[in-house]
Amino acid sequence: MLFLNVLFGVSAVLTIASSLLCVFTKNIMHACVYLLGALLGVAGLYMTLGADFVAVTQIMVYVGGIVILMLFAVMLTGGKEFVSKAQKLLNLVPLMGNKWTFLIASLASLVFAGVTVQLYFKLPEFFKTVDNTEFSSTVDELGKLLITDHLLAFELSSVLLLGALVGAAIIARPRKEEVK
Amino acid sequence: MEYTISTIAPIFIFPFMAFVVNAFFGRKLPRQGDWLSVGAIFASFLYTLRIFGDFIFNKFSTDYYVHKVFNWIDLSYGDQFFKIDLGIYIDNMTAIMLLMVTGVATLIHLFSTWYMKGDERYGKFFVYLSLFTSAMLGLVLADNLLLLFVFWEIMGFCSYSLIGFYYEKEEAGNASLKAFMTTRIGDVFLLLGILGIWSVVGNVNYVDIYAAISQGLFEGHTVMGISLASFAAFCVFMGTVGKSAQVPLQVWLPDAMMGPTPCSALIHAATMVAAGVYLSLRMYPLMELGEVTHIIAYVGAITAFLAATIALVQTDIKAVLAFSTISQLGYMVLGIGVGSYNAAFMHLITHAVFKACLFLSAGSVIHSTHTQEMPEMGGLRKKLPITFLAMLLCTLAIAGIPIFSGFVSKDRILGDALYWGLYAGQNKVHFIVPMLGFGGAFLTAFYMFRMMFLTFFGEPKDKEVYEHCHHEHFEFNRTLPLIILAALTLGVFYSGSLTGQGEIKIFPRAAQEWFKILVAAPEVKNFESYTKEKFDFADTREEKVWEKAHYHHQSGYAGVNPDNEEGIHHAHINGAVASVIIAFSGVLLAFFLYIRRLMSPDFFVNMLKPLHRLTTHRYYFDDFYIGILLKKGLLVFNNALAFLDMGIYDRIAIDGWAKVNNWIYRASKWFDDVIVDSIAVDGTGTAVNLFNLVLRVLQSGKIQFYFVVLIVVLSGYIWSLNFIS
Amino acid sequence: MISYGSYLLISAFLFVIGLIIMMARKNIVAILLGIEFILNSAALSFVTYSKFITKNLDGHIFALFIIVIAAAEAAVGLAIIIRFFQIKETIHIDEATELRN
Repeated sequence: MLFLNVLFGVSAVLTIASSLLCVFTKNIMHACVYLLGALLGVAGLYMTLGADFVAVTQIMVYVGGIVILMLFAVMLTGGKEFVSKAQKLLNLVPLMGNKWTFLIASLASLVFAGVTVQLYFKLPEFFKTVDNTEFSSTVDELGKLLITDHLLAFELSSVLLLGALVGAAIIARPRKEEVK
Repeated sequence: MEYTISTIAPIFIFPFMAFVVNAFFGRKLPRQGDWLSVGAIFASFLYTLRIFGDFIFNKFSTDYYVHKVFNWIDLSYGDQFFKIDLGIYIDNMTAIMLLMVTGVATLIHLFSTWYMKGDERYGKFFVYLSLFTSAMLGLVLADNLLLLFVFWEIMGFCSYSLIGFYYEKEEAGNASLKAFMTTRIGDVFLLLGILGIWSVVGNVNYVDIYAAISQGLFEGHTVMGISLASFAAFCVFMGTVGKSAQVPLQVWLPDAMMGPTPCSALIHAATMVAAGVYLSLRMYPLMELGEVTHIIAYVGAITAFLAATIALVQTDIKAVLAFSTISQLGYMVLGIGVGSYNAAFMHLITHAVFKACLFLSAGSVIHSTHTQEMPEMGGLRKKLPITFLAMLLCTLAIAGIPIFSGFVSKDRILGDALYWGLYAGQNKVHFIVPMLGFGGAFLTAFYMFRMMFLTFFGEPKDKEVYEHCHHEHFEFNRTLPLIILAALTLGVFYSGSLTGQGEIKIFPRAAQEWFKILVAAPEVKNFESYTKEKFDFADTREEKVWEKAHYHHQSGYAGVNPDNEEGIHHAHINGAVASVIIAFSGVLLAFFLYIRRLMSPDFFVNMLKPLHRLTTHRYYFDDFYIGILLKKGLLVFNNALAFLDMGIYDRIAIDGWAKVNNWIYRASKWFDDVIVDSIAVDGTGTAVNLFNLVLRVLQSGKIQFYFVVLIVVLSGYIWSLNFIS
Repeated sequence: MISYGSYLLISAFLFVIGLIIMMARKNIVAILLGIEFILNSAALSFVTYSKFITKNLDGHIFALFIIVIAAAEAAVGLAIIIRFFQIKETIHIDEATELRN
């Protein structure tokens, strides 16, 4: 139990701290690294929920794939916040592109979070602690589910991935006239 | 013989295809495609020969006919019949007519290859000729009046084009226009007659019309106070008057001689003008029912006589022939009028043959001498022996000398006319009709031999012309048509005997008079229940044994009172004797005047000066039509119409309407400016502008701003959910 | 401590963080980053519900598919960003105002 509690605590702190840093950092490269931390924290939370396969997938796909991809993108497009030529124009647009943005966005988010939390409180066993601490490997069952009940979604997701791959390749490919 | 689409249709289609091919590719073909036209019409002739053989030699039955139709338009509703069946109708008359048309047309095509040689529009001539023959064959094959009318008009167009063939000459252009416009009057009447028949019968098939007549469908219908049968019959007859150049619409035919001579031979002597007579013959039961036969007889007689008198004073060889054509057509019409159905049709055929030959001979003479004026000719028989012989035979035929075809047919018409005038139990005033006929016969003999004597006998009057004229040698395409047509002027081909008169028997094998036996006026009661067969690739007709025709003493006569055998006999004996005497006296008079010169023709001219002036001016018909009807009548009428149009209609109706429009324009302009523009359009614009002020803020183009809005709205929604539940 | 609500709170927190990043940042990469946060919060909620409410593995399946979709989205999105950068020489979100150049 202790291990579980410790794991939960570490993961929760890691997640919250990383995401907060991610918000407040100026450097986009740093933001990506903080995202990495937050994702690892979420993976830890999955562990505490007994979702071992999901956790491993989270680490492999997100940490090993997406974040690396994003780092590449950042490096390809310049690793710092970019000040646009149209910055002055942007300042005229209300609530966008200046300090007040954060304030307003935070207020909107707080409203939303409040709403969400209020909905949560309606559930009776909201703060019920976990009784069932028996963990077993979910890989078997997930595998069976994936190729029985969710076979269609599984196959469709593979098609989606292929499409995304090809689409990304086509989009990012330089046009002919540019090659010339 | 099988009667199917593949044995009948080619008769019409061959010349038509020749027309199509020659019209488009004629220039590229060798010899400008004349061989195609000639070959096509000859192929039609061969096909026709089979039909003719089947009808005349095989079946030999008066009742035998082939009627095949396919439905073209059917708008019948309930018992209101309104339909057009296209189809072909062949009986003995059609078969004989087909053979005549194809045979004569073949020979004329052949002759044209000689006559038109070297002409700059040689190919075009054959294009028109092919179209014309196909239309004529279509007309003969047609089983209804509407189809007949279509081909009738195509022929009219071809006639127009061929009369104006040498359109560089102004007279030719005028003549073609005149021919077209004059026949148009008759055509309008014909169309009116067809519509009249249609309104009663609901169809325009010949056989349907006959059946309707026998069922008495025409009774009780009137148009403008006269019975519809009379009206329709008169209108149809007016079609004949126009096309066959009868008085008072005969003025176009003499001018039509502006065309090339072969086309005169084919169109204005043998076939197209005969088509008018053919129409009247086909509609003979209607003529009888409508009681217009008296009118027809008078028109025919007057035409026959008047045209003959005009022909007396003509010096143009083709003009003589033109007026003689009018005169002979008058005899046919006269024959129809007096009920001499068979003889009228026979005269149509015989006339077609000998008049075609006469025109071709004239063409031969004209081509050799390069002049049409008879006073410049003379003594040509030594130079043109074959032409002379052919023309002599035909002249004998048209003059009514026994053993030639003209005698066979014309004297039967005259005999029937005599019977009609004397014995048929009617007013003796009608005796004038046969008298005019006999007078015309005398004049015919005279003026035809005058033409012969002036052209071929005596001393050459114009040395230059005579010297210039080449000696005639045998040329295949020039001489052969003349010889064949001349040979066919013998009466024995048309009747078993050489005279055709049952009373004057030279070879009294009366039973062989096939023509007299086979062609008879349609008995309408036979058509009350007739059968139509589908026009198909297979012969669908029922096998039926047709009764062989046998000789009736007077089967050719379908006149007023067939029971009066004694009267008929007398009339025919007297008529025959009289016409023989008249013919010979006419020939003798011409002989004395122009060969022996016992008397100068000037003597008669001086003696009958007013009459001479009348005839040289063609009875002032042209002057009357052009000078008075057109210039005084129509022109004034036109001016009045123009005044009506410009002065009244334009002033009041058009300008007034413009004023009204102006008012409407002002009213609608005010409405447009104030209501539509200011309120509706500008109001809408303002409203849109107002919305724009609001929406422009939202529509900032900034993605994140949209996102914020989305979040706020979504939050508000969920928040509101909270309060509701 | 490890209660139902704590997971959901963390999930909500992640969601709000993502929201803020998406609304406030002007960098397109950063916006994609915010999307990843939001997707993660959703996946975390699914797994939590799977554990405490439905007590089967359907939530896990959903979490897996969310990851798959996130991967596809990231690939396409980054391709678009690179393309955008090639054309505009910037990855500022407010420059993306035209559908075609």
